[in-house]
Parts: sequence; structure tokens; C-alpha cells
Amino acid sequence: MSERPTFSPHWHRVRTMRPRLRPHVQVTRQRYRGRRWHVAHDPASNRFFRMSPVAHELVGLLDGRRTVEDAWTIVAEKHGPDAPTQPEVIELVAHLYNSNLLSVDASPETEQLLRRGRERLKKKVQGQAIGIMYFRMRLFNPDAILSAVEPVLRPVLNRWGLIAWAVFVAVALYRLVPELGAFGEGFRDAIAPSNWLWIIAVFVVAKGLHELGHGVICKRFGGQVPEFGALLLVLVPSPYVDASASWAFASKWQRIAVGSGGMIFELFLASIAVHVWLATSPGELPHQLAYNAMLTAGVSTLVFNANPLMRFDGYYILSDLLEIPNLMQRSFKMLQYQFQRFVYRLDDAQAPTSDPGEGLTLTIYGIAATIYRVFLFVTITLFVMGQLFAIGLLLAIWTAAAWFLMPVGKFIRWLSTSPKLAEHRVRAVGVSLAMLALGVVLLGLIPAPDSRRGVGVVESAARTGVFAAQDGFLARVVALPGTRVEEGDAIVVLENDELLHRLRMARAMLAEFESVEREMTARSPSSVEIARDRVSAQRDAVAFLESQAERLTVRAPHAGVLVGPELAGLAGSLVREGDALGEIVDVEGVRVTASLPQLESAWLFDEAEPYRVAIRPVSLPGVVVRGENAVAVDAGQLVLPHAGLGVSGGGTIALDQQDQSGRLADTPQFVVYVEPAASDRWVPTPGERVHLRFRLSAKPLLAQWADRLHKMVQGRVQL
Amino acid sequence: MSVGGLSAYTALAETVNARRRAQPVHTGPDQLVALGGLKLRQRRTRLAVLLEHASEIDAIAPGVRAYADARLNEELAEVRAAFMLGRVSRDLLTRSMALVREAASRETGEEAYTVQLAGALALVHGRIAEMVTGEGKTLTGSLAVPLLAWRYRHVHVLTVNDYLAQRDADSRRSLYARCGLGVAAIQQEQPPGERAGHYAGPIVYGTPKEIAADYLRDQIRMGPVDSPWSGWQTLGGRGPIVPGLHACLVDEADAVLIDEGVTPLIIARPREADGLAPVYERARAMAEALEEGRGYAVDHLRKKIKLTHEGLADLRSAFARESDQTWRIERRGTELVRQALLAHHCYARGRQYELVDGRVVIVDEYTGRFLPDRSWEHGLHQAVEAKEGVEITADRETLARISFQKFFRSYRFLAGMTGTAADAAGEMERVYGRPVTVIPTHRPVARVQRPTRIFRTAQTKWRAILDSIEAEHALGRPVLVGTRSVEASVHLSELLGARGLAHSVLNAHHHAEEAGTIAHAGEAGRITVATNMAGRGTDIKLTTDARERGGLHVILTEIHGARRVDRQFIGRAGRQGDPGSAQVFASLEDDLASRFAPSLAALAVKRSRDEELTGDRLAVQVLRLAQRRSEARDRRGRAGVLRQDDWLEKHMPGR
Repeated sequence: MSERPTFSPHWHRVRTMRPRLRPHVQVTRQRYRGRRWHVAHDPASNRFFRMSPVAHELVGLLDGRRTVEDAWTIVAEKHGPDAPTQPEVIELVAHLYNSNLLSVDASPETEQLLRRGRERLKKKVQGQAIGIMYFRMRLFNPDAILSAVEPVLRPVLNRWGLIAWAVFVAVALYRLVPELGAFGEGFRDAIAPSNWLWIIAVFVVAKGLHELGHGVICKRFGGQVPEFGALLLVLVPSPYVDASASWAFASKWQRIAVGSGGMIFELFLASIAVHVWLATSPGELPHQLAYNAMLTAGVSTLVFNANPLMRFDGYYILSDLLEIPNLMQRSFKMLQYQFQRFVYRLDDAQAPTSDPGEGLTLTIYGIAATIYRVFLFVTITLFVMGQLFAIGLLLAIWTAAAWFLMPVGKFIRWLSTSPKLAEHRVRAVGVSLAMLALGVVLLGLIPAPDSRRGVGVVESAARTGVFAAQDGFLARVVALPGTRVEEGDAIVVLENDELLHRLRMARAMLAEFESVEREMTARSPSSVEIARDRVSAQRDAVAFLESQAERLTVRAPHAGVLVGPELAGLAGSLVREGDALGEIVDVEGVRVTASLPQLESAWLFDEAEPYRVAIRPVSLPGVVVRGENAVAVDAGQLVLPHAGLGVSGGGTIALDQQDQSGRLADTPQFVVYVEPAASDRWVPTPGERVHLRFRLSAKPLLAQWADRLHKMVQGRVQL
Repeated sequence: MSVGGLSAYTALAETVNARRRAQPVHTGPDQLVALGGLKLRQRRTRLAVLLEHASEIDAIAPGVRAYADARLNEELAEVRAAFMLGRVSRDLLTRSMALVREAASRETGEEAYTVQLAGALALVHGRIAEMVTGEGKTLTGSLAVPLLAWRYRHVHVLTVNDYLAQRDADSRRSLYARCGLGVAAIQQEQPPGERAGHYAGPIVYGTPKEIAADYLRDQIRMGPVDSPWSGWQTLGGRGPIVPGLHACLVDEADAVLIDEGVTPLIIARPREADGLAPVYERARAMAEALEEGRGYAVDHLRKKIKLTHEGLADLRSAFARESDQTWRIERRGTELVRQALLAHHCYARGRQYELVDGRVVIVDEYTGRFLPDRSWEHGLHQAVEAKEGVEITADRETLARISFQKFFRSYRFLAGMTGTAADAAGEMERVYGRPVTVIPTHRPVARVQRPTRIFRTAQTKWRAILDSIEAEHALGRPVLVGTRSVEASVHLSELLGARGLAHSVLNAHHHAEEAGTIAHAGEAGRITVATNMAGRGTDIKLTTDARERGGLHVILTEIHGARRVDRQFIGRAGRQGDPGSAQVFASLEDDLASRFAPSLAALAVKRSRDEELTGDRLAVQVLRLAQRRSEARDRRGRAGVLRQDDWLEKHMPGR
């Protein structure tokens, strides 16, 4: 238990002061998790201050006639250990005074006021510089617009309006569901360059409506909306309004209504768009615009605005729903606290809350938000780097500095200088180093599974040409195209009289040589060697010719279906060695052919063949089939083995910009063959697209990351 | 408005200005930028540059030496006029420094060395000059003071005590007069009217405490005004006593700026109709009823009491039985008990305080002097009084408070001298923006530093100290023995008495005899036992006899909380090229080791069987670590005060 010192050596600074809340400050009562709080709000400067009931009571006693000490004594006698201590009172007075909520009998020092203004400006500028991902620009005061719109909408801004809205949105959704397939297909057109201007136009309208929604609802409940501006979100402009006046609303539902106002308006627009989209046909402009509206006002709103892990609408709504103000900040404080308490074992660490339920919520939210933050940072950075490498890199460094290096620096500073750690510093540093070491071991030394993705197309594994192996006249066609042949089955038979003649001659000579040999064995053993040599040479010659003759019958190299030209009509015509007579296609033994960009696939050399691969057919989500005998067969290929691998065919490989065929990649590719293992859940059909996941040998995570980063930079280094 | 009125009004404006001047403390990146800027700027006044400049001054010295008195005065008046116009060029600086040096040599007979000129230049440039004790800091300062007085109109020269203020002011009076400047010394007993007259003059000598208190009293009288005119009305047409904070030259700068820097100066008055004496008695009784461990835990390092849940519960029921109103407010009640516990466990007579004429008097940790007009706050003082059973005084309420750090940061110009600043250079730069220059010595230091002797127990340490004193005494050398507390000095005195060694004692009790004791301390065969009182600014002059016998031998009986304090005390030996020697004695039972490195100290004791652990690596490390921890703790404390000052400055209405 940590002790709060009752007295402050600086008490004399406030003791005799007779302050009071400024007359125009409004105090509203709010309930958070069953406890009462008081929010002081200055509508003129739009500043807020939240107080506990005891603090509020103290502030209430400060009427400009009573001194701070008198007020404190009264509160201290009444509330005992719950009463604020002197340092807490000083802090309270300072906070209120600095938020311009408190007027003090002492004449304020101009110097101090000016300095305060300067510091605030400096903080603002610094904040902007650090968060270049969120650049904020004030434009104008929207009050006139809102004052005009709000009375018009007032009749529907109530419970009934909300119900009607919900019904309207539900109907639109109901009508959309059967058409989801078409909706998904439309996406490719929507991101086509020809639509860019339209989508931006619709985006601006939708977001404008969104902000109008916040503003109007805030106005509806009596809040002022003094500011309209633009926010550069990851370099994309997006409008905003300052509806912070709603923070002082007593009812949490009103606050939530203001927070959801933007989404309510936008989803309304999206619902109208659904009907328009369904009523028009592809190719018409309204159809296209409606699609854009569904995308921006519907999907993007739900994905971004409703997401409570970033400081957007969803966050404030969640914060009000949970009745935890400052959710994000306090969650991080909670994580810090738990770290200090349970890792560093600081007994006097202060938890940001004493309510266990709230503590749990804060912890969960803090962890989720942290993970999301990292995830968002990585994806945004990679995305921007993919588009604009240099800017992306700068952005990454900047954001990494703001989000990671600065906190780490602050942490090190805290570790080395915080007075709280004074007696535990050695242990705390030890624990931190141990954790760092553990991290290094986990990430840098312990191998972790690694994998790479690729896209492939199912092809017939064996598709072998049938060729004439010998010159000859086509004598007989055994197998007709389209028929099934087994390995070794004859397909055509050729005739070559000359060859047969030569074979006969050779056999005769062999017989002659053999008789000579027998004779020599009996008569002159000394000459036997010569005769024997001749026999064996002639035997080879005969064998060669026999094999030649054998090849006059063209046989199937493997089982499959014969495809090719109709040969029957060619009977008797001359066929030269190497002439194609057709192809044998093996429909059962299929394989997957994949192209992997060479720049990203150096691992093919590090791994031993066959590679370990898992195959996921696109058509059957959730089915995973093992791949066998995966081998790299070709390198430096620009022509893709199949059009289905290129972007235009639905694959992932970027194509050459001039390419018309859909098979010319923009960078050289490796070609990899994989045979799917037999599976009763999936029958591969040639032409089908699959996802591949190559399992690499386990490597420490740090090495993996470094590897990927290296690849990424390597590919761009020419820029 | 009369002419006097006008000057009073100007003074008032300056005071208001000074109040605004305290620069904000830079933190984070701002601090790096500020320090970087400082480093760049100070390159222009680094030691090599200063020494070169000093030799330029040396070069024109023969010409100046040839001037007749009248010519010298004329020239001085001329440079003075130029200074007052604010046009200070390098040439003017060279010239005026040469003139002042010559004037000093004629008036006081002291000829400044080149290194002292460099030191004076460092001061003029607003630096902290570290000069080895005995290298003539007084002379160095007095070369810079006239220049600063011409330039800034008012100079405050801060000394360690009233006696030194008066002595230095008197000894420099004729020099300053020649420079067209009057000088006065502020003494504790002077009434405000007399002080106002002194402050109006160009040069004022005094202790930081007195001057800061006068400044603070002005602030109280003026109230929270932000313009000279509103102040003029508040003060009823009279000016402040201190006419603004202009230039300040601090002697013993590390002690004043760093060690004392966080001691707040408090103007307080007893609370009216207190009547709380019985309450403190009750608090003491309740504290005694609590059991250590079960009811509370003591944090000796941080001087804090932690009440357990059981302790709190016991107290609650005890409060319920009380009839006095005070116990109704639980917070106040537990605080009182906590103070009583603190007084019992962490405050010891002879260390933190002494009893003088039935009163509890605080003993200054750094100087070993009594601080009769200070008292602890929030009932701690009363708790100590209750513990000692003396009459309980009324708690005092703070009217105004200023930390010396903030006070010094309010000066337009600040420079300082000390024997030991290098250890605190970083802090000087961070807090005051003043770089430190280490001025080389004119003569090599002839002091012999003997290796530190470390003992397992305090008892063996004292025995060895006595042996060592006896041995040096037998050689006829004067011996100065430094103790860390009044208690220790009394203890040692008893031990010496038992061995029949004649000696004199200098501690807070004997401060009246200070001057006399110091005057004789340099005689052959003298043994002087002193607390830190003798550490700063005391100049022990050796007799010829003593010098021939090997000079002063300094023994330190304990390691202090800061290296600088040790160095200061050791610096009493071997001054101005005199022979001398010094040795430090320490034991693992000493306060420092047992407070700041208890477990390691225990380990070191366990590991060795010897009584004497001199040279034992672990023992040496234990002491070094303990001292470093103590320094770090103090530094943290100071940083905390600074942060708090800054926070209040920025966030609180009024002053």
C-alpha cells in the first residue's frame, strides 16, 4: 500500500487563496461504472476537467470567499482518509487554473500567461511533427451550417428516427446479401484507375456527411461544434469536426449518439446506394457511383470508423459504453502498472484504477490496442513502401521513432533515473536485461517455423509429346486420339524396309562370323581372338539395328489419353525421326505449376529439394493438401507457365505493362512443380488455381525478418 | 517623485524582473539543445583561451606598473565609464583587468599570478572556476568584482559565513574604493534599514541565507504583483530592500549552489493559538504503543515510516478514544504519529540535531553548524521536541519559500569559485547553465595523500585513529581531525582525553571559539578535532616550526556522503605549497556503509577475518559504492526539488 503524504511543503502557495470556478464554467454530473464524477466544462475555450465527487465538493466550497485551507479542512473532517491530501489539492487547483476553469484572486502574471500560451503552441507543433501520419488542419467554424441543418433534421433525431434508420439499413442489407457475389466481383472494377476520381469524389461526400452527422447530433443535444477541418490520415485527407462538447453531456447515450452520428449518416447513404446499385445495371454511371458509395460509406466506415482500437468513432463509443474515459491512455498506464508491479515488483506502483473489473478491461484493451498498433504500423508501412518506397521508408522511420524508439528511450530513462526505482534499480535493470536477453534468445536464437507463399495452377503432370523415333512410312495407327493408352502401348507402327533389310544383312553376317569362330576354335586357337572380336562387334551392330527396328513401333511413354492429329489419313506417308505424332496427357497424375518471383525466392537455393509444400485450393477454402516432390525446374522465366498465375488471370504475379497475353511477368520467375498428394477431399482439375505454402527450415525470427526486409529493400534499390 | 523615489522605483522594477527571470528548466530534447548551445558558447571561454588572455594582461602589466597613482585612478575611471556604457570589448577587458590587478597590488600588496588572472577572467565570463584551496580565491574574486560592479551596478558576493563576509569586505574596501565602488557586508544582526542602505551600494558581501531572506521578505511584502507600478502601490511608495538580483559571485560555489541548493529558505511565523503541545505528547505515546514490524516499518534510507494495516487499525481505535478535535481528522492523526515514529527512529541527537538551552536545534549536515532559526516542518520538529521532553514550540506556518536553486537562477549574472566543482560540473551546467573551468595551480600541491584505511568495526577504527594521531603528534606536527557529526567529535574528544592528549574541539557547540581555534590549529603539536565546520573556507596558517616538522596532517574519521566534502576537508592540508599530508579512516560500521550498502558491507565483514581491511577490494568497493549511492540520492533529491519548483512556477497562480 502506498502512502499519500498528507502535507505539502508548498501548501502556502494555495493556503490563503480564495479561488472560485469561473462563472461560465458548467459542471455536469456523469456516471462511470456506478460512480459519480463531475465534469467541468468551459464552453468558451472548450476545455474539460473531470473530478471525483470529493474533489467536486472541495471545488464547490471554493466560492471566492473561503480560503483553500478552510475548504480543505471541512472536506478532510468529513471524508477522513478519502479526502484529498494537500499535494492533491495543489494539483487540483493547478489543473483547474491551467485549464482556465478557475479564477484566482491573485492577479495572474502576464509573463506566466504568455509562457503558458507558448508552451501549448510548442506542444501542438511537436505533436504534429511526431504524428505526421495524422496531420490536422483547421478550416472553418461549421456552426452556421449546423444551425441551418439541425432544425430540419430535428424531427427524426430521436428514438423513432433511430428505429426507422435501423429498419432502412436492415432492408438494404437484406437485399444486398443475395448479391454479395456480384458485389465482390465489382471490386476489381472499383480499384481500376478509371474509377479513382469517382471514388475520391464519393469519399469526400461520404466523409463530409459523416462529419455533418457528428455535428448535427452534437448540436441536437445542445453542444457547440466550433471547428471543422481536415485531417491528413496517412497522407489521405479526411474531414473532421470538433464535437468534444459532447464530453460534458450527462447521459452516456447522448455521448454515444454523437460518437455514432457519423456512422449513422454514412450507413444511411450506403443503404440508399444499395438500392440504386441493385436498380441499375453495370456500365451505367449511377451503378458505378452507387458501388463506390457502398464501398466508402459502408465497408470502409465499418472497417475504420467502427474499429475501437484506433482513436476513431468506435473508440469513443466503446469508451462511453464501458464508462471508462481516457480508455487508451489509462490502458497503457494499466499495462505499465502491471509491469511495474509484477515484473519489477515495485510495491508502491500506482494502479490507474482500483476497480478490478475496470482493471481487467483496461488490461485487455491495452494489449489488444498494442498488438493492433504494431500490426497497423507494419501493414501501413509495407503498403506505402510498396507504392512509394522512399516516402514509405521515411514514414516508417519517423513512425518507428514516435511509436517505438521514443517509448523505449523514455523507458530507459525511467529505468535509469526514476526516483520510484531508487532502491530497486539494480533489480529492475537486472530484470529488464534478463527480459531483453530472453527476447534476444527467443527471437534471435531459437529457430521458428518459416514459410513462404506462392500461387500455382493445376496442370497435368505428364503431358508428353509422342514423337517418331525413326524414319519410316506410317504403316498402321494403333491408338486413336482421345483413347486411353497404358504405358508401352503401341500408338503407331512405321515401316522402314531399308532398316529391316539392313537388319537381315547384319544377322546373316553374324551367323557367318559365328561359324568362322567355331572353326577357328577347333583349328587354330591362335587366331580365335580375332574371330571372337568380330563376332562381338557384329552382335552389337545387330542389337543396334534391332532397337532401331523396335522403335518403328511408337509407344506411349506413360499412361494417359492420346491427343493429337488424326493420323489414320496419313497412312503410307513418310514420317521423319522427331516428327510429332501427338501427345499423351495424363489426367490422373496432375501437378501444380507455380511461378515465384526470383527476387523474393532466393530461399529456393537454401532449401533442399523436394520442398515441403502445403496446397490450398482456392475453390475449397479450408482444405489443405500436402504437396510432394516439389522441385524447381526453371529459372529466369519471364513467360508464365499459365495465364492464371498473372494478375490479370487472378494470380499474384505482376505483369509486364506492355503485355497483352497475360503471361509476360515483369520480373524473372522461378518455375516450381509440385505434385498434390492423393486426397479424398479434393480432386485437382487442370486449370484450377491453388495457394501454396512452402515450409522452410526453421530459423530464428530475427533472421527471418532481416531476410524479408533485405529482400524488400534489395528489390527497390535501383530506385 | 523625488530622486530617491525614482531609484526606489527602479529597484522595484528590477525586483519584479528578477522574479520573472528564473529560467524554466529544460527537459528532454530541449535540455540537449540547451546543453549543446552552452558547450558551443563556452568554447570561446575555455581554459586555453583564458590563459592566453591572462598572459596578454601580463604582457601589458609592466606599462601599468609604471603609472603614477593619479594616472592609475584616471585610467580606472575611464574604463569604468566604458563598462557602465556596456561596451565591453576584449581590449577593454584586458586593460581594465591589468589596471585592477595593479590597484590590488598597490592597495593590498598582493600581486595576482597569471592563473589567478585566468580565474578572474573565467568569473567575468560567468563560469564556475575551480581553484585548489589556498590558491588565493579571495584575490581572484576581488579582481573580477569591480568589473562586474561596473557592468551590472550591483554585485552580491556570497561567502560561507558572516565572519568571512565582514573580513573580506574590509580587506578589499580600499581596492574597491580606488575603483570608485563602495562595499558593505550584511550581518545577521543588522536591522532592515541598515541593510537597505548596504544593498543600495554597488558591492555587498553576505551569506546566501541573509540575502535570499531579504529578497524573499521583499517578495512577501510585495505580494503577487506583476508590474512595478502595482508593487509600488502595494509597498506604499517605498522600494524593496534588495534592489533586484543583478550579478552574483559565489564563493564555495559547489556548497552553495549544489549542496545548499535544495535547502529551501523559508520565511515562517509561529501559528497563532496553537495549543497543540499535548497532542504531540499523545502522538508520541501512541507511537510508542506501536510495535515495529507489526505496526509499521522504517525506511532508514529514505527516512520514511510505513504504517501497516494492523498499525493503522490500532491507531484508528486509539484516535477514537481521544477527545481532542485533532484526532477527528484521521489523516492528520496518522501523520502526527508517523512524525513521532520518524523522530524516534531516524533523528538522533548529536547527528541531525542538538539540544541547546533546552531547545532542539538543527545541525547542518554539510557544514556541521547549528541552524538555530530553522525548524523542521509539519510537526516533525515538535515530535522531536516531544521525544526529548523539552518544551514544545508552536508549529510554524510557511509564508514564503524559495529554494536556493531558484534564487540563484533569478540573477542576471552568476559566477562562482570553489575548490571542488569538477565533481558537480554536470549539475552546474544542467541547473545553472554555468560551465566549470578547472584553473591550474600556481605552485604544485605538496600534500601527501596516504592510502585510506578501512576497518571492520568502528571500535578498531577509533583505536587506529588515536594511534595515528599520537604518532603524528609525537613528530610535533599539527593534526586536524575531521568528524562527520557533533556526536563523533565529542566521542573522539573523550577518547583523546582518556589518552591524555591535549586538544581543542570545534563543533557547533563551540562556534564562538571558532576563529581562535582555527588561528592556533596550525601551531606545532596542536590537535584539533572539528566537524565539517572547519571544512570550508577555513585557512589554517602554519607556523614556521610546524612547517618544518612536516606541515598539517589531516585525518578524516569517516567518509562523507559526497566526495567533494572529503576533498574540501583534506584540502586544509598542503595549502599554498605548504607541506602536509592527509589520511582517511573508515569502517564498515560507519553510517554511510550501513545506510547505503548494508548487504555488501555485511558480506565484506563476513568474508574476512582481519580487523583491518585496508586494501581489501570488496571493502574498498563497498565504501565507494555507498558514497556514490549517497551522491546519487542527493542528486535525485535536488532534481526533484528543481522539477517541483518548475512545475509550481508553470502551473500555480501567483507566487
